Amino acid sequence: MLNAVPLPAVLTLAAALFCIGLFGALSRRNLIGVLMGVELMLNAVNINLIAFWRYFEPRYITGQTFAIFIIAVAAAEAAVGLAMVIAVYRHYVSVNADEVDRLRG
Amino acid sequence: MFQLTDIPRLLPEILLLVLALLVLGSDILERWGRSPSAQLERVKSSASLTAIGLGMVLAVALLQSGYIYQLPETAPVNFFTNIIRNLQSGGPSNEGAIAGVFVVDHLTMIARLLIIGAALLTSLLCLDIRPDAHPGEFYALIIFATLGMCLMVGANELLLAYLAIELTSIPLYLLAGYFRNNARSAEAGLKYFLFGAISSAILLYGMSMAFGAALNGVSGAANMNDLTRFNRIGAFTSSSGSLITMAMLFIIAGMGYKLAVVPFHGWSPDVYEGAPAPVTAFISTASKAAGFILLFRLLTETFPAMAGAPVLGDDAGGWTAVLAVLALLTVVIGNLAALPQNNARRLLAYSSIAHAGFVLLGMLAWAAAQPFDREQGLIALLYYLIIYSLTNLGAFGVLALIGQQVGGEDFAHLRGLSRRNLPLALLFTVCILSLAGIPPLGGFFAKFYIFMAGWQSGATWLVIIAVVMTIVSLYYYLRLLKVMFIEPTTDLSPVTMPRGIAAALTIAVVGVLVLGIFPNVILSVLEKV
Repeated sequence: MLNAVPLPAVLTLAAALFCIGLFGALSRRNLIGVLMGVELMLNAVNINLIAFWRYFEPRYITGQTFAIFIIAVAAAEAAVGLAMVIAVYRHYVSVNADEVDRLRG
Repeated sequence: MFQLTDIPRLLPEILLLVLALLVLGSDILERWGRSPSAQLERVKSSASLTAIGLGMVLAVALLQSGYIYQLPETAPVNFFTNIIRNLQSGGPSNEGAIAGVFVVDHLTMIARLLIIGAALLTSLLCLDIRPDAHPGEFYALIIFATLGMCLMVGANELLLAYLAIELTSIPLYLLAGYFRNNARSAEAGLKYFLFGAISSAILLYGMSMAFGAALNGVSGAANMNDLTRFNRIGAFTSSSGSLITMAMLFIIAGMGYKLAVVPFHGWSPDVYEGAPAPVTAFISTASKAAGFILLFRLLTETFPAMAGAPVLGDDAGGWTAVLAVLALLTVVIGNLAALPQNNARRLLAYSSIAHAGFVLLGMLAWAAAQPFDREQGLIALLYYLIIYSLTNLGAFGVLALIGQQVGGEDFAHLRGLSRRNLPLALLFTVCILSLAGIPPLGGFFAKFYIFMAGWQSGATWLVIIAVVMTIVSLYYYLRLLKVMFIEPTTDLSPVTMPRGIAAALTIAVVGVLVLGIFPNVILSVLEKV
């Protein structure tokens, strides 16, 4: 299996996913869309870590552990983020980032 | 391996965790009445428990550090000396990191004291704030964030560093958006969260690449189980290589977001303006200080081979070159953007962006050729962070009070403050002058040491620009003073000062004065780093 897919291919996939996520997070106007972009970026990191683990040190579990921690923290972060979006929605009746602009100088 | 003898070394963190659970538990488990007076009692009990608890943790940490009193070897053996001896056995030392991931050296200890002290002042500022539904959560979140920062400054491993950052950030997002019935607070929380989440992802991507570069660099059957430790990554990676260079850039970008360094500063004015004022004080001081120390550890231990030189010339390159560019942008844009502001909190937000630039300048000294200059750079950096934290806590504390009593932080609300409450205006003046860098206040010496360290390390052009920008900054700082002392006002009703805020402001201002007039008091401690 290791020979079937070379490491650079996996890393390229992760890099592409990261770029898509970053582009989504920066360009989407919808706040939920921004959160989805962030999740893509975090998953790109997970792919990276798992790939490095699998191809370099399958006997040790550092990379795997790291990825599991990231998944857990990302869940906590998403919970906080969605709660914040709901709090903002109650005031602005919108989840469009352009309309949430009461703070500006 | 984690050993039982490591427990005293982690004592401040353990105490903070216990305190946070205690604050949460005492609020949940007690049956509070519905009447307003019972609810007020509830808020007061959480607030004072937090303030007293943080004070005790600070006292234990101070005793443990041995900076004020070090138990002599020849002390008689009795009950009290045994307690102190056991405490100080966990004090700062050059022993290895706990379980390989958490270092307790003088840098960690000093940063811990700074952070717990800042949290104590924040909790004093919060004594008179009225969180609506569940006050225990508000205060417990402050303590959890403090715990995260304490872990951050000692972290020596990528995973712990990431978890510490998240343990700091998630409570801070919640605190910034805590007054969810207030649209501005909710918006500030959301903006802080969105930028923070993106920056965490960027930082993590850099971390994963650093991990990969270390795996790639290690050869043979060396122990590969600890390749997320900073110094192991540093040992197995070379000075050039696209993977490690990318890792460095991503890590600097991710940390730059957290530290509000230009061009990653977009969130900070909005968050500083919209978040509850004591929380702004906390975000702008303790979390920034912790972030800088983590960035320092990351750069010096993970990428020691890529330090480069901050001078403009053939040998420019490495992370100091990146930091030099960021510092330049931060100092210039932070100060210029502060000029047209009409809201005092936004103005201070841009001023703290500018101050982050000065701190970066201190970090450049790590590339100096002489070890002496490197040490001086680190000392200057710590001194700057301490003075800056005290000053900013004072300044934002005053604004918290004004926001509470006058109803806003625009210049119009500050007008004629000297006639409405002279002591408050004087305290604010000291903070503002210290931020501007007027001798004999702490801010002057802090800037002086930073400039000296930057000059020694060879970043002369940067120091010259920073000095010019300091002069520019006088304009907007003095504008604040002019509004307070000279501009006329129709509303002359006095502004009262609640006891908690008064205590916090007094501590901060006395600290700025004492550390400014007698910098030796603290420099002798900082030299241990």
